[in-house]
Amino acid sequence: MKPTASVRRTSARHLLTVGLVASLALVSACTKSEDDSAKGSTASPQDGAGQVVSSPSTGSGPTCALDAYGGGKLDLKKATVGFSQSEKEANPFRIAETASLKAEAAKRGVKLLTANAQSQFSKQISDVQDLIAKGADLLVIAPLNSDGWEPVLRAASAKHIPIVTIDRKINATACKDYVSFIGSDFVEQGRRAADRMIEATGGKGEVAILLGAAGNNVTTERTKGFEERIKEKAPDLKIVFRQTGDFAREKGQSVTENLIQSKPGITGIYAENDEMGLGAVNALKGAGKKPGAVKIVTIDGTRNAVQGIVDGWIQGVVESNPRFGPLAFQTLDTFTRGEKVSQDIVIEDSAYTEKNAAADLGKAY
Amino acid sequence: MTELTFARPSLDRARLLRLLQDYGVYAGVLVLLLFDVAFTPHFLSVENFRTQAVQVAPVLVVALGMALAIGAEGVDLSVGSVMALSTSLISLYLGYGPWIAVLVALAGGIVVGAANGALIAFVGVQPIVATLALMVAGRGVALVLLPQLKDVRDPDMAALGSGAVLGVPYLVLIAAGLALLTAFVMRRTTFGRQVLAIGDSRPAARLAGLPVGRVLVVVYVSCGALAAIAGVLATARLSASDPTSLGTLMELSAITAVVVGGTPLSGGRVRVGGTVAGAVLIQLLTTTLIKHDLPPSWTQIAQAAVIVLAVYAARERGRR
Repeated sequence: MKPTASVRRTSARHLLTVGLVASLALVSACTKSEDDSAKGSTASPQDGAGQVVSSPSTGSGPTCALDAYGGGKLDLKKATVGFSQSEKEANPFRIAETASLKAEAAKRGVKLLTANAQSQFSKQISDVQDLIAKGADLLVIAPLNSDGWEPVLRAASAKHIPIVTIDRKINATACKDYVSFIGSDFVEQGRRAADRMIEATGGKGEVAILLGAAGNNVTTERTKGFEERIKEKAPDLKIVFRQTGDFAREKGQSVTENLIQSKPGITGIYAENDEMGLGAVNALKGAGKKPGAVKIVTIDGTRNAVQGIVDGWIQGVVESNPRFGPLAFQTLDTFTRGEKVSQDIVIEDSAYTEKNAAADLGKAY
Repeated sequence: MTELTFARPSLDRARLLRLLQDYGVYAGVLVLLLFDVAFTPHFLSVENFRTQAVQVAPVLVVALGMALAIGAEGVDLSVGSVMALSTSLISLYLGYGPWIAVLVALAGGIVVGAANGALIAFVGVQPIVATLALMVAGRGVALVLLPQLKDVRDPDMAALGSGAVLGVPYLVLIAAGLALLTAFVMRRTTFGRQVLAIGDSRPAARLAGLPVGRVLVVVYVSCGALAAIAGVLATARLSASDPTSLGTLMELSAITAVVVGGTPLSGGRVRVGGTVAGAVLIQLLTTTLIKHDLPPSWTQIAQAAVIVLAVYAARERGRR
């Protein structure tokens, strides 16, 4: 085979390949999904309830003010705020979180720079450095990990850039490395899920836990709160099964399928997020169970799970409110005006039960 | 392949290893089944076996394609991404009806397979690199098409996911049918022989006048199509399209099933029955550990132990 001929043939094949891929892209332009628009499943996520602070921003607990942190006052309206999101906006929580920050920035007329780390920690570090380089005067960070923030924090504190972390905490000194943390109390969410489970099962029987991804503080804390409260309040409710569902619906479904066969007498399932809970619902449906035969309690408060309560499959959803926008900007505003803010701002999460699910479906994200 | 049967001083040992490699996976399945029957409560029920069969179906379908690729001395890392792409396409095209959606999903898998095959056969890229590229690209495209989980409410898809004929779920029937088809193609057709010849030695196959490029493209197209089918099955079972998590690490599960089943990574040999048993073995292993409520990290350790055992059994073959 002559080399030139081979090259020509190769490039022809190459073109073929590119053509094939391009055809896929073209074909995707005329999609038609089954969604009936009447359902309105894409109502804007920020139209629900904003967050309410459960521990007040001043008063109890350690606080932080400009003179302690360093740096000068500035007017939030003229400032640039950088927001670093940790995970890709592929789940309702992240979508609602980012949308809420964007909406609040637009409402207040603040310039917002955003970056998404796509679940890669190294990318988040460089994202934050980029945001600082692009001239962000204030930072809102949704950290992917709790550790490994030293280089970024050093760069930020050299420039006296106030940092607020949301939904997860970072292991650093508050009011020195960052201003405050705004988030839910995951242990408390676990406790409230336990309360709901005790109520739904009458405090007797066997429950299973669908754990979140291993090595994640959300998983550990939601488990801790749940187990503690069950032990303390309902000693007759035995936790007989703990397996990970990796926060994913598919894994939650296959684990639950195995669970209901090996332990047919199970009375309740506590899923540490909504997706795994919905997987459990799928598994129960597949096994021919009736709604309510096995009590399911989940955490998060996504629209699908709240719909599950309305349909009778889920008995309780403890909300983990992702709408950090108003509170994050309010904290930054207070802080940059020179007033004190709390270092730990714990937000109040609501809950959905049979009583309010139908009415509050619109509030779910 | 025949020289193992003669001129070997330690014939008994060689035969033993050969037996272990050929039938070890079946023995493993048997041992696990006996263990489960004895020690796992409520294991012996029709419902349970149906669940296990349904859960293993998507992995098995992917592993069949993987067995073809490995038999041709390649590997396909893009299968998980093809599943994600397929689930995205289904969700996007369901408005035209389930058949069209499934066909589009299959077309997506075929396009990715064709791209893989073209890169490997005509551009000369190593299979692991070419399919790695498509693995990254495929998931990316899937997420661009459908950025987040979306429910599939189509009744026909739901029927595919949970329906059954005479008590046998559709998913299991489809997977079994595809396994039989693959076994037939590999044993009884010229194409099957060509794949093995290419896997054994690509230069020799070329010198023998085999259409190497064409066969390789067909192998990767089949692998892509099978992965797309697995994506359809998984979507139907979940009754939702979840391109972010569907098919993650599927390539590793499939390679594990193939290798544990006794197909050597060096190519030239494909064991379809062993692949089926390999997939079943991994499924039973996972299930047993879940049913006994052991920590999830144990599953990974147990899987690793099985892989090491399988590779140890295959070790002697490498020195022929």
